[in-house]
Amino acid sequence: MAKLRHIAIAAKDPDAMAEFYKKAFDFKEVRKTDGPLAYGYHLSDGTIDLAILRFKTDQIGKGLDYTGLHHFGILVEDVEEVARKLEGLGGKHYMDQGGDRIGGFEVKFYGPEGVLFDVAEHPWTGTEPLPVEVKEAAD
Amino acid sequence: MPKLRHIAIAAEDPEAMAEFYKKAFDFVEVGRPNGVLADGVFLSDGTLNMAILKFKTDQLGKGMDFRGIHHFGVLVEDVEEFSKKLESLGAEHYIDQGQGGHQAGYFEKKFYGPERVLFDIAEHGWAGAEPLPASIKEAAE
Repeated sequence: MAKLRHIAIAAKDPDAMAEFYKKAFDFKEVRKTDGPLAYGYHLSDGTIDLAILRFKTDQIGKGLDYTGLHHFGILVEDVEEVARKLEGLGGKHYMDQGGDRIGGFEVKFYGPEGVLFDVAEHPWTGTEPLPVEVKEAAD
Repeated sequence: MPKLRHIAIAAEDPEAMAEFYKKAFDFVEVGRPNGVLADGVFLSDGTLNMAILKFKTDQLGKGMDFRGIHHFGVLVEDVEEFSKKLESLGAEHYIDQGQGGHQAGYFEKKFYGPERVLFDIAEHGWAGAEPLPASIKEAAE
């Protein structure tokens, strides 16, 4: 089964917000990022990546002033296969992100009602991989 | 360490949205919440509860027609202890929710963190969510 492994929050002040969640829940900072899409932090609870980001483009059509939950990410065995499946179900491909991105290649989709999510084969930094039996079954 | 175990999406049509995620990722339906705050469908990936909800009140101050990811939930060892900690860090307590119904024993507190981002904390977890690792729970007992 695919696994939810990434939650991204849109923040005006990622530095302050990341500090809050580190102090509140002992989440660990695993990466600081400043790429073409966003500036911010990736925290981990050991299983899930919590990204706290100031976005540089309006990916969800709510304006660059939007703050709040932004998108989630799902770890899958095979991105290409899932991408085909998502398109068959009416998901709309938004963009691919990869190259030198740490943590692996991902594909962004809009699902029903324009909700944005990522699918990736490579675990986000600091997150749990897929359970072994799932990976073995896919190999 | 506390664990992220819940993500809630605000939907106009939770039924259709839940069908999409069930078909797309084999997420399993684990409940049909019907409460004062929202109706919808609970899905699980075996670790997290993914709630797809039609909200009945404007919890975020973004209007009733807000669609998108709404809040998340963190499973903690001790809700009271974490409530005190969160308030000392500047979080604002919003509401308590829980007990009885389809999910007896369930209790959560909702907080606004920095920039009014809403999140829940709970001790007993959401339907279909994995409990805290045994070592953490034992250490807390």
